[in-house]
Amino acid sequence: MAKTDKTMLDDAALEAFFEAGRARAPEPGPDLMARIMADADAEIDARAPIASPVATPAARRARNGFWAALVSGIGGWPAVASMATAAVAGVWLGFASPDQLNSLAGGLLPTEDATSEAAYELEDLLPGYSGFESLAEEVQG
Amino acid sequence: MNTHRAAGRPVPPVVAAACANGYLTRIMAMAFDAETDVSDEALLVAYGNGDREAAALLTARLTPRVMGLAARMLRGDRAEAEDVTQEAMLRLWKIAPEWRQGEAKVSTWLYRVGSNLCTDRLRKRRSVDIDAIPEPEDGKPGAAETMIEADRARALDRALAELPERQRVAVTLRHLEGRTNPEIAEVLEISVEAVESLTARGKRALAALLAGRREELGYGED
Repeated sequence: MAKTDKTMLDDAALEAFFEAGRARAPEPGPDLMARIMADADAEIDARAPIASPVATPAARRARNGFWAALVSGIGGWPAVASMATAAVAGVWLGFASPDQLNSLAGGLLPTEDATSEAAYELEDLLPGYSGFESLAEEVQG
Repeated sequence: MNTHRAAGRPVPPVVAAACANGYLTRIMAMAFDAETDVSDEALLVAYGNGDREAAALLTARLTPRVMGLAARMLRGDRAEAEDVTQEAMLRLWKIAPEWRQGEAKVSTWLYRVGSNLCTDRLRKRRSVDIDAIPEPEDGKPGAAETMIEADRARALDRALAELPERQRVAVTLRHLEGRTNPEIAEVLEISVEAVESLTARGKRALAALLAGRREELGYGED
């Protein structure tokens, strides 16, 4: 039986030691607590410039240096808005190709019912192009 | 049941003492709440968002736990244990903004960081000086019961210091810090079975080491 074994303590006796150990746990001193709190405060302060929702204009410029320079280079945000509008309009024209656009373009744009006769051919725009073709035939022949 | 109460440790009186330091007004106000139902994780997230009161609560709650482990792992070297504790808490403050919720318990994470820091320090100083373990400061030498408790605590610390490092961590976490085996497994990054084996071997070794002192410590054959 454990109680009579002089070389080992039984569980109850060992538990009494653990109890004493828990009651006399090494506790942090007030200085340590204060140092740890100071660390916590310092960490908050250190990340405040990034976390703060109201960054100063200077900080914002420093953070977004490249984009800020680009925008001011092309004339500020109104210019960016114009360019965005033009880009969207271009995409829309490309997809919709309204009829009025073709009259403005002098019939250059192919319409839905366009046949090869009605549309301009490459030679109409580059009259010398067919010459290259015959030249190529001559060379080969 | 609130898990934070499970360690069975009352709010440390040191928290009240710390109030003398300026931070204390804050800790003092928080000390009574240190055992509230707000989870460590919720507090850590709040701290990550800049809540300083959450830091006071976490400090009051977690510092004694890391300190308890570190002091035992470092065999009673109080100054070094305080260094380790401060460093572990600093790492907690730093990780707070990126803390990924639900992945690990804050206390488990902290025990792991603390135990790794202690391991590093132990590697640097390999020699063991059991006599370096300081005599406990006993404020009430009159009470025989207090004496016995102090003697037992000191004997336990000395016996713990003789255990291999992993056994020491496992036994400390299990029997002195009141952690569960799965938690300890996470701290030591081993299986639960390995934890059970470590604590069992640790307890056997302690029982043998302490047996020689049973009479002087009030365990005579009665």
